[in-house]
Amino acid sequence: MSVPATARKLKKEDLSCVFDQLRASHRVIGPKIEGGVIVLADIDVHDIPAGFEDRQAAGSYSLIRSDRPEIFSFSAGPDSFKRFLHPPVSEMFTFRRSRTSMTITPSGREEKPLAFIGIRACDLSAMKLYDRIFLEGPVKDNTYASLRSNAFIIAVNCCRPGDNCFCSSMGTGPEVKDGYDIVLTELRDSFLVESGTVRGQDLLARLALEEATGIDVDEKAERTGACIRAMKKSIRAEELPGLIYRNPDHPHWADIAERDLECGNCTQVCPTCFCNATYDLVRLSQVSFKPPGLSGVRVRKWDSCFSRNFGRVHGGNFRPSRRARYRQWMSHKLAYAIEQFGLPGCVGCGRCITWCPAGIDITVEAEALKDAR
Amino acid sequence: MHDRSTPFEATIKWTRKETRDTFTCAIRISNRDIQRGYRFVPGQFNMLYVPGIGEAPISMSSSPLDRDIMHTVRIAGDVTTALSLLGAGEVIGIRGPFGRGWPIEEAEDLDLLIVAGGLGIAPLRSVARHFMKTHSPKKKTAHPRRMLLYGAKTPKDIVFRDEFPRFRDIFDVFLSVDRADPEEYWRGETGLVTQLFDRLSLDPVRTIVFMCGPEIMMQTSVRELILREVPEEKIFVSMERNMNCGMGICGHCFFGPKFVCKDGPVFRFSEISGLMGIKEL
Repeated sequence: MSVPATARKLKKEDLSCVFDQLRASHRVIGPKIEGGVIVLADIDVHDIPAGFEDRQAAGSYSLIRSDRPEIFSFSAGPDSFKRFLHPPVSEMFTFRRSRTSMTITPSGREEKPLAFIGIRACDLSAMKLYDRIFLEGPVKDNTYASLRSNAFIIAVNCCRPGDNCFCSSMGTGPEVKDGYDIVLTELRDSFLVESGTVRGQDLLARLALEEATGIDVDEKAERTGACIRAMKKSIRAEELPGLIYRNPDHPHWADIAERDLECGNCTQVCPTCFCNATYDLVRLSQVSFKPPGLSGVRVRKWDSCFSRNFGRVHGGNFRPSRRARYRQWMSHKLAYAIEQFGLPGCVGCGRCITWCPAGIDITVEAEALKDAR
Repeated sequence: MHDRSTPFEATIKWTRKETRDTFTCAIRISNRDIQRGYRFVPGQFNMLYVPGIGEAPISMSSSPLDRDIMHTVRIAGDVTTALSLLGAGEVIGIRGPFGRGWPIEEAEDLDLLIVAGGLGIAPLRSVARHFMKTHSPKKKTAHPRRMLLYGAKTPKDIVFRDEFPRFRDIFDVFLSVDRADPEEYWRGETGLVTQLFDRLSLDPVRTIVFMCGPEIMMQTSVRELILREVPEEKIFVSMERNMNCGMGICGHCFFGPKFVCKDGPVFRFSEISGLMGIKEL
């Protein structure tokens, strides 16, 4: 196989050099074990849970020590980049108001841009969707734009699928195709490193790495291929939008509603769920100053379409039933997002399956949707 | 283009009570540069912000040619109640304009039929004022013909009641109330707005319809229009949902795959006819 001009080889023990390059200019975010799960946090190279594997099933997750030599043999935990680029709670601006004047000060952001290390193809596809939602409008969102700008992406190609993964059938993975500065593929004794941007290329140049060979590129293809073959779950991505549009009153929606607990876990862990709500928090201690007025902050926080309040307006609720709320969620994931943004709203990461306390599996539920004869 | 994710200050010039639970509030943007850059089309909406309380999506009820921006509001929740308590000289925040408005240009040379129910007349008053300002009064022509159908609960709930004589300058006006108030003289129709369609003689080939009101009223009105062979492509409806951000990032206004805030609130009926009857979408 032909070798891309930017392909290099990085020794496994030299992964720390990448951290060294980034740390001065970026806040480095990556995988780490916390409370028995892999989360994303500020990390250093030794925090990466090398040698750990996750066992996931509908409604269950556990970590085990693996006898495999790979560093990145684990798959997606409950966390994703979403917690950093679209934080669960974020301050939008502070306000100060009297009867006749008002001051609004947009909230400052941290100065250092973010660097994500170890991000997978599924989550990069979700990030691409986020860019369309928050940046490509028609109106740009300042909060997201400031966190996203200059974010450095070090992606990793998956060589072992998680138990609930189905990215290959969604067309979103396991191989990273775009949206990265650098992508790593873990080979037997080293990483194959490729750059996708000038910034990535510059970073690799500073590391002075040896060039990759055709053998390395072949090994990458072999490993990602093996990952596809090992993936246990799949979904009918092509047929589902049509099926969903044609069947808003399918009896299966009510069947799911019987089991659904409406906890909203799936919307929290889903890397594409972006819904949010805004609130004013008034500072009680400053209610009275001269001239009389009040001050406070406007805060944005994640919301969930499973909440009863989600579709509420004065005098009514657009989605009072659980059946309608589940239908809204799944339809958005598998059908609406494609119409809205030209990208799938489900990236096949399987998080919603793992973290559903009722063990509702989107691939199984989607399979049950059929046109009436 | 000014920033639309952060509110800017506007001063209330005056407020006026319309009916027992609605009022109109005229505002002017404080900052001159923002004021100059601010352009809207009838049918779009602003997010009105009372700091400390929150935001509410409210369509403009004035014409873009009016000096002040007017919003006609129903006192329904926290924000609208707080707004109703403010008076001239006090300030609020606004973000906008958002969404897609009425296709005014498409309506210039066609017969325009406006169908409004309740407070649904607010974004259509913006259209009416546009035509009142751009066309000389007392010159009703046979073509293009302009008609206004309006239904309210009772005579007391007719929003902009004082302005109807002026609407009649350029519109053929048909009014109906669900029930007449026995204490008040009412010589108009009683019953649903849909029965007024029988009094119209529509030329389906050259008619365009702008409609805003309760969803059930719009559904039955569209049915009446389709029976009269008005094509779905020429019927425009303004949808209501729980708009929260106004710019397609919060997800509260989903109507199936549509964002009411940015794809709407005004839709060509043919775009959403497949979604319209679905329960709890």
